[in-house]
Amino acid sequence: MGEAHRRITDYLNKFSDAVSYQDVASLAQLFSFSSNSPSLLSLADALNYFQDANRLIKQSDKFSQFGEILAPIFRSLQSYRLGNLVDSYHAFEKFANAFIQEFRNWESAWALEALYVIAYEIRVLAERADRELASNGKSPEKLKGAGSFLMKVFGVLAGKGPKRVGALYVTCQLFKIYFKLGTVHLCRSVIRSIETARIFDFEEFPRRDKVTYMYYTGRLEVFNENFPAAEHKLSYALTHCNPLREANIRMILKYLIPVKLSLGILPKAWLLEKYNLLEYSNVVQALKRGDLRLLRHALQEHEDQFLRSGVYLVLEKLELQVYQRLVKKIYFIQKQKDPSKAHQLKLDVIVKALKWLEMDMDLDEVECIMTILIYKNLVKGYFAHKSKVVVLSKQDPFPKLNGKPVNS
Amino acid sequence: MMNQATNTQTLASLDQNSIENQYVVNASQGQTSLYVPSTTGSEAASWNMSRVDNHSAENGSFLNSTYHHVQHTELSTRTVQDGSNAASLATSLSLGTTNAQSDYSSYNSYSNSSDPYSYGSTGYQGYYNGYLQQSNPTYSQPVGAYQNTGAPYQPLSSFQNTGSYAGPASYSSTYYNPGDYQTAGGYPNSSYTHQTTTWNEGNYANYTTHQYSNYTPDTSGAYAAGNAATNSLHYQQHYKQWADYYNQTEVSCAPGTENLSVASTSTQLSQVSQVPSVSGGYPTSNSQAPPSFTSSWRPESSSSQMPSLQEQKKTACPQAPNLQYPAAQQAPQNYQPPLQTVQSSDTRRVSKLQIQTNPRIASNLPLGLPKLDKDGPNNSAVAKPAYISVSLPKPSEKVLPNDAADSVLKAGVFPKSLKSYVERVLAQCKDEKQMAACQEVMKEVITKATNDGTLHTRDWDAESLFPIPKTDMADKNNLQNPTPVSLFPKYKKSPTRRSKSRWEPLLEEKSVDKLGSVNNYAAKYSSWVHVNEKDRKPTGASSEGKTDVMNNIRFPLMEQKSASKTVQRQVKRQRLADVNAADNGDASSDSDKEQNLTAYYSSAIALANNPEERKRRESRSKRFEKMQGNRAEINQFKAKNAGTENLYARRASALVLSKSFEDGGSKAVEDIDWDALTVKGTCQEIEKRYLRLTSAPDPSTVRPEEVLEKALFMVQNSQKNYLYKCDQLKSIRQDLTVQRIRNQLTVKVYETHARLTLEVGDLPEYNQCQSQLKILYAEGIEGCHMEFAAYNLLCVIMHSNNNRDLLSSMSRLSDEAKKDKAVQHALAVRVAVTSGNYVMFFRLYKTAPNLSACLMDLYVEKMRYKAVSCMSRSYRPQVPVLYIAQVLGFSSSIPTNGGSDEKDSEGLEDCVDWLKSHGACLIADSNGEMQLDTKASSSSLYMPEPEDAVAHGDASLAVNDFLTRTS
Repeated sequence: MGEAHRRITDYLNKFSDAVSYQDVASLAQLFSFSSNSPSLLSLADALNYFQDANRLIKQSDKFSQFGEILAPIFRSLQSYRLGNLVDSYHAFEKFANAFIQEFRNWESAWALEALYVIAYEIRVLAERADRELASNGKSPEKLKGAGSFLMKVFGVLAGKGPKRVGALYVTCQLFKIYFKLGTVHLCRSVIRSIETARIFDFEEFPRRDKVTYMYYTGRLEVFNENFPAAEHKLSYALTHCNPLREANIRMILKYLIPVKLSLGILPKAWLLEKYNLLEYSNVVQALKRGDLRLLRHALQEHEDQFLRSGVYLVLEKLELQVYQRLVKKIYFIQKQKDPSKAHQLKLDVIVKALKWLEMDMDLDEVECIMTILIYKNLVKGYFAHKSKVVVLSKQDPFPKLNGKPVNS
Repeated sequence: MMNQATNTQTLASLDQNSIENQYVVNASQGQTSLYVPSTTGSEAASWNMSRVDNHSAENGSFLNSTYHHVQHTELSTRTVQDGSNAASLATSLSLGTTNAQSDYSSYNSYSNSSDPYSYGSTGYQGYYNGYLQQSNPTYSQPVGAYQNTGAPYQPLSSFQNTGSYAGPASYSSTYYNPGDYQTAGGYPNSSYTHQTTTWNEGNYANYTTHQYSNYTPDTSGAYAAGNAATNSLHYQQHYKQWADYYNQTEVSCAPGTENLSVASTSTQLSQVSQVPSVSGGYPTSNSQAPPSFTSSWRPESSSSQMPSLQEQKKTACPQAPNLQYPAAQQAPQNYQPPLQTVQSSDTRRVSKLQIQTNPRIASNLPLGLPKLDKDGPNNSAVAKPAYISVSLPKPSEKVLPNDAADSVLKAGVFPKSLKSYVERVLAQCKDEKQMAACQEVMKEVITKATNDGTLHTRDWDAESLFPIPKTDMADKNNLQNPTPVSLFPKYKKSPTRRSKSRWEPLLEEKSVDKLGSVNNYAAKYSSWVHVNEKDRKPTGASSEGKTDVMNNIRFPLMEQKSASKTVQRQVKRQRLADVNAADNGDASSDSDKEQNLTAYYSSAIALANNPEERKRRESRSKRFEKMQGNRAEINQFKAKNAGTENLYARRASALVLSKSFEDGGSKAVEDIDWDALTVKGTCQEIEKRYLRLTSAPDPSTVRPEEVLEKALFMVQNSQKNYLYKCDQLKSIRQDLTVQRIRNQLTVKVYETHARLTLEVGDLPEYNQCQSQLKILYAEGIEGCHMEFAAYNLLCVIMHSNNNRDLLSSMSRLSDEAKKDKAVQHALAVRVAVTSGNYVMFFRLYKTAPNLSACLMDLYVEKMRYKAVSCMSRSYRPQVPVLYIAQVLGFSSSIPTNGGSDEKDSEGLEDCVDWLKSHGACLIADSNGEMQLDTKASSSSLYMPEPEDAVAHGDASLAVNDFLTRTS
């Protein structure tokens, strides 16, 4: 009893001290459930044992002025400890709301760090609560709730003033939620308010937030198949990312590689190995060799993965580049045989080549593909229908993409 | 209003008249008043309040001799009030609360100061059974107001309590000093003391003005209250104003204050504090009061200085009334005996009916009344209408047999069913005359019931609505008492269908009521004991012995006039009030609306937390259960019809629920019993036009499942065009929906419709079907799942142009689905589309399973255009049109070795047309074969906007404006 009592008052004291001394580090610690710090765990046990923490809060003015904040967080912690995550989430949201109220009243942005912790915790807690709900056959909706809460937080931060620095962090948490929920379209409003704000230069945001932000917006561009923009954002994220955070680098590369591939830029094999992105290695091989079969196999093999990450369509579009490579190879071979006639590619030859790759395509189909290649400027030249011949330009018949996307 | 104004300044004369009139009224009721204590419920209490005030004022000013009793009565009543307030305040209040349908837990705290209010409010509630839900919210609101303005209130309470005692003295002094003024001043004071004193704090000048403004409002307020039909909104409004009023309180009361604010307040007051009802009666009399009275009046007034009188009388009057009272109280249900005794004792004969009715109205006045009764049948008769109109609804309804006591604080003791009954009756009335007549009749009915002791036992819900008395009849009624009596039997219970008031559990409330009444009774009784006995006796004595000749003589005439006028007036006012209410309710200024809304919401919130409400909800849901049970039984045993009838009832109630839900968005959705809204169709027609429902479905126009099946079959085999089929299918879908049929038939219908839409390319309609099908399949109902999965995929591929959607729907495909032919085809189409492989696309187009081709059709144009622009860029120098026709699917056959020339040529022509219409350059080569000049075409191609394209996507609605240029 005494021990539980002591722990609780200890927590309360820490809280009120942190607030009065504006000691954000220790304040943030008090909220960080997911850290599973022993002090919080033992506090949770104490709360479950003591049961009447509210009395302790009310006991002193020092604490009772934060009753709105402290009472729910105690409840949340209790439920958290008992594994009742849905209840814990509810209480935590209440706590977070109360904290936001208080935060609004603080002139300076000293408590931003604590707010970050709250934003993070509420998202993680909501995810876990949703999992709990789903396992109980109920509709998971907490993450959505957390999203709207964070939107509120964003509103608190997004204005002028010193607190704006924190807006990007909240934005990133929002991105995480929206991507998880598949409601990506909700990102747009947040992005607009970040990118159109003249009063605050993007570079002034903390680096980690910038990286995260670029990563997510880059992914959005991938969905939109706006590859140059995607490449720009993801490259920014990659170059600014902490090089020691390999997991983060891998996440960025997971999108950056397909984007670069579609721009005609192939990664080195070691890169794929280092970051364990071997699912792309066959794709890269296929591109290098013009091996359509390999590409299709690679796509099929990792279909689920690619579909989930959303790069499937991007990779699928590489097919044209593979054709280009194939035709190029045929061209080289012909050139070796007979340089004078090398620029005339018979359709039969191409069909035969595809047959070797076990691609069963008839003349019309291949003709169609050749016209598309020409149309998309992957092959320079023209197709003579009458003689079924691809006539290649004598100058640079297979232009390189060089970072430009395939014409669409 | 004018009259009143003049009255005030003309002073004594006018006042007297009014006073007298009132008196007469009162007097007629006086006897009853004695009873009233026993009989009156909450409203009686309210009456007491008002009456007391009036009387005191009147007494003071007017009829000394005659009104001594009155004052006494007042005193007594006041004392009663006081006693109840002080001693039994808590109890009475709590009782009131309990009586009131909604719980007033909040009230308890307020009890002292807010007693009168709680009262009014309770009365309110009781009154508006039908509006319970709404009324509840309103309640909470007023409560809030109370809290805020606690200060102003207290004066009121204190006034009532102490006012009677200490007040009189001060009044009299102030009153009489001014001289003529006095009357006026006294008047207001008496009737409005609560208001004026509290607000103005003693300014007499203010008083007069107040009175006037107050008066009208009061009456109107009373009227509004009286009209059962008045909107709850109206009430809310009042409350709102009420709250506002309190905030402003003193300012608004100032003499200069506009009538409006005062009026509103007064109305509110009336409603809330019940004082208004009295005042309402008052003003009417005032306006009409003839000047002649003044003379008589003054003397009275001068002589009638209450304090002294009261004491004297108290001491002096040791008479019979006491006996009667106790009896009445103890045996509350036997009204008549006491009444009659009283009557008999009174030389004037007031018809029983009148008396009875009067008592309810005037219930509290008792003491003064006996005398007044003597004034004569005329008076009473005349007076009645006035009263009725003013106070009828509340008081009459609320008269309780049980209640011996008239404690101020009683809550609505009337059974709610009765109130709702009254409401129903009043709702019938088309105009004011009818209304008045109805009220008359109703009074009769209720009186009867009260006398029978059946007030509580009778099933008011089952009571038939009596035919609306003809207006002339009503007029007669006003003049002659007997008529109503004769009418009465007719209306007597003729049980009809029971449309139970759905709002409250009746049983509980009744018991509560009784409890309350008993308690009240006790409280009152105690108070009565000391005060009443003394006071009343004197009244009896005085009334019998002294009855004023003057009054008697003069009054009849006067009052007849005044009364009839009052009736009219009141009617008018009612109308006004109604209009106001209506305005407030909807049309009026936005701010009003907002106020209403805010009030409503806040109250709604309170409502949600209201345990009573919860209980009610429970009981409601229980009732549905019961009804369902009934229905089941009936279905088993009886013909369908019975079931449907029951259904109707259920549906109706559910509808009301849903409606109220719509009205107040804050009500919980779970309040709606969707099961009850579901209909079971009885229509046997196979064909039915689709009409988008704007109201609840009528089972007689809804087809049951068997018929729907036939209808589906009919549609499937119909030779008519799509528009007809679509219409039919939509009506089938609608019938399925309203009957909540979700089974294979449903799936079949949607599938049929979806295919039909695909055939004609009606994508919007298709999407509706598709989304429904998705849900249905997800529920595990079997159908052509794969087929529609493929359609869905195709739709996403070709029409949504959203990569994320595409990805997610692809990743959602099960392995099993991926093996399905249709799905595979759809996936292949996707590849063809994303890669722009037109050859593959048109091959797939030709081999499309099911109706996939139809969906692809919608993309063909785009694909062809892409293909041709691609070709014109890639091919040099020419491409034969024949090849294009083959590759782009113009010819129906897959290009083979020149098999069917005819077909090819057919396709060729189409292709040529198409190419031309898209700006391609065609040339004929040496062999006469058409060739596409690619170089020339590459810059001249354009996509013509389709001829039948319409902005809103429905070609059948096309207007010339939407037609696009064609080649």
